[in-house]
Amino acid sequence: MLMSDTFRFTAPPGADELRAKVRELAEGYLADKDPVTRANCWMRPDPAFSLLAGEAGLIGMVWPKKYGGHERTAAERYIVMEELLAAGAPVCSHWVADRQSGALLLKYGTEEQRQKIIPGIVRGETYFCIGLSEPGSGSDLASVRTRATHTAEGWRINGQKIWSTIAHKSHYMIALIRTGSEEERQKGLSQFLIDLSMPGIDIRPIRDLTGTEEFTEVFFDDVLVPDSMRIGEVGEGWKQVTAELALERSGPERYLTSFSLLNALIRFGQTSGRDDIRRLVGQAVAELWSLREMSMSTAAKLASGEDPVVEASIVKDLGTGYEQELPRAVQALLEEVDFASGDDFGRLLAYLLQASPSFSLRGGTREVLRGIIARGLGLR
Amino acid sequence: MLVDMAEKLFADLTTDRSAPFATLWPRVEEMGFGGLLLGEEEGGFGGDAGDAFAVLKTAGAAALPLPLAEEVFGRLAAARAGVVDVPGIVTIATRWDGGIAGRRFTGTTTAVPWGREAGAVVLTGNGPDLLVMARGARVLREDANPAGEPRDTLSFEGAEVHEVPEFSALHWGALSRSAQIAGALDRALAMSIEYANERVQFGRPIGKFQSVQHSLAIFAMEASAALSAGQAAARAAEVDAAHFEIAVAKCRASQAAAVGHASAHAAHGAIGFTMEHGLNHLTRRLIAWRSEFGGQAFWADRIGEHVLTMPPGQFWPNLTARSDVLSRAAGSK
Ligand SMILES: Cc1cc2nc3c(=O)[nH]c(=O)nc-3n(C[C@H](O)[C@H](O)[C@H](O)COP(=O)(O)OP(=O)(O)OC[C@H]3O[C@@H](n4cnc5c(N)ncnc54)[C@H](O)[C@@H]3O)c2cc1C
Repeated sequence: MLMSDTFRFTAPPGADELRAKVRELAEGYLADKDPVTRANCWMRPDPAFSLLAGEAGLIGMVWPKKYGGHERTAAERYIVMEELLAAGAPVCSHWVADRQSGALLLKYGTEEQRQKIIPGIVRGETYFCIGLSEPGSGSDLASVRTRATHTAEGWRINGQKIWSTIAHKSHYMIALIRTGSEEERQKGLSQFLIDLSMPGIDIRPIRDLTGTEEFTEVFFDDVLVPDSMRIGEVGEGWKQVTAELALERSGPERYLTSFSLLNALIRFGQTSGRDDIRRLVGQAVAELWSLREMSMSTAAKLASGEDPVVEASIVKDLGTGYEQELPRAVQALLEEVDFASGDDFGRLLAYLLQASPSFSLRGGTREVLRGIIARGLGLR
Repeated sequence: MLVDMAEKLFADLTTDRSAPFATLWPRVEEMGFGGLLLGEEEGGFGGDAGDAFAVLKTAGAAALPLPLAEEVFGRLAAARAGVVDVPGIVTIATRWDGGIAGRRFTGTTTAVPWGREAGAVVLTGNGPDLLVMARGARVLREDANPAGEPRDTLSFEGAEVHEVPEFSALHWGALSRSAQIAGALDRALAMSIEYANERVQFGRPIGKFQSVQHSLAIFAMEASAALSAGQAAARAAEVDAAHFEIAVAKCRASQAAAVGHASAHAAHGAIGFTMEHGLNHLTRRLIAWRSEFGGQAFWADRIGEHVLTMPPGQFWPNLTARSDVLSRAAGSK
């Protein structure tokens, strides 16, 4: 009933060199960047870095060579992801495309779609955003109302998506859209590949509470999408999205996006010599290392063709919980925090204390994940 | 195979929880489980740390009221010390007072698991571990942990001592308790789910209430974390002393034990609070094992120390390199 180690990666030959290569690339780019810039790093879009990563062969690692991919192993891909995150590299621009959109196209897309789009993803040039949420559809995703109507020229799309991260800095959105009736719920949904430069699309950034403008609302006003941009069969959207979500939920970005805080805490422990900090470091490392085990075994299970929906939910809920608790626990131990004077540690805490509530919202809320786990346990 | 055998035996041994040690233990000895980690030439199973973890997890799930973990690692220590014939059980302990003079130990040991049955006790100290022969030792106090498992105080007068090279009863004990906790959590979770699907209140099974579902989902996450960390430690222990991984495993398992304990009892209501219901055999062990061979804070301190003494920035490179090496060693088996 529990997730265990049935599926496991063996470190690939050349793992050391691969780690060294990724570290060098990330450190070379980040150089003197402070810990704040390195925190929550997979939400920081930076096309210049994505191009470098593409050039270095770090995107589309496991995809077929005929689309520009590198045909490396899932274990190598995991190494690349965790090294980029541990360094705090700004991977946001290509992350979604690399993690799920490309994989989705390889699985359900047409040959034309793959040839047209995947090579650009691999080069670090083509970016994707996720178009699931709508103003009226958050957790209840099956209620989406943005509609595509079949016409002679193609599909006419009307409606609105919201919270779409970096839509304004992406080339494509993969959107979950209603093609059937609302009563059909899940069965009436299909996925479309939407070129965001098309007429009728209006993207407006939304300022989040940390002050950045990375999520957006996207309006569709009679957008005409050719049938060749449909992904998979009509009415299969829900099934495809569910498979995509396992990719989205189990990766190292669920426990390693704010590794820079642990690093800062370790430095503080070394200089302060405080016993309580040492204990907190130990506790955090115990949780981090357990999460890494769980995430890697889930990735290995995915790589073997299984669909670890429950495991992925476990990794996401535990991982985000850990990343939310750590800033709070650090804050609780400090007599005072200097948020104002430009002190790195204080600014890092200030940033993460503000940003961390989103960790358990994006990608499915804590409550939704626990519902999925409960279903896996046979309670629903 | 091994686990199936163990499961059958442990089910048998726990059908009557009032059966005395003297009738139960010989059945374990007959099957040779104490020799799990001894080589075949030493009359053992030739098992490795992974096998030990699997068997002890099974024992934890059965709430086996016997010193199997202690015996498995105690016998290994005895063999390493070159002592083959120990009557009774070999148990392991971490708390003692006293001194050694001329290969003789005089002092007391407290909270010794099944000390009253011991032929020898392995003690963890500052130097190498010591195998102390318990013939002639006095049982000063027969006591028990919260689960009723014997934890005795023994007194020794010039007892024969052997050094155990490259052995840490503290770490093996911690790995054992991690395995037992993982097993007990797994079983208590299964019982809680079953009960939640059967017990009807307000016209429906309580498992249909979202708050019950979420509590059990959290339980499952914690149990999964304990199991994953424990299995990783066992794999590492097949390669080397695995002190870091065992520390992580026991720290994480101790954390999970508390959550599982609370969630299982909440789900079961009053019936789970009775002696007659089987749940308490698991949950009382969970709270006891949580502290034995180092609690959460003890191991967190050790891990913290380990990490803080690395050169700045070396934590991630060191530990990923180590985990790569370990995964290859495990993969080539
Ligand atoms: C930083 C950030 C980035 C995001 N990026 C994207 C993106 O790129 N693309 C995209 O499509 N979406 C994105 N989202 C949206 C995200 O997926 C939604 O916020 C999430 O699915 C929850 O929807 P909601 O915000 O409408 O909350 P609601 O669904 O309204 O939920 C509010 C609260 O009610 C709880 N709740 C709802 N239903 C139930 C229930 N049945 N039982 C118990 N509790 C319930 C929820 O768990 C939550 O706590 C992003 C969100 C954030 C914060």
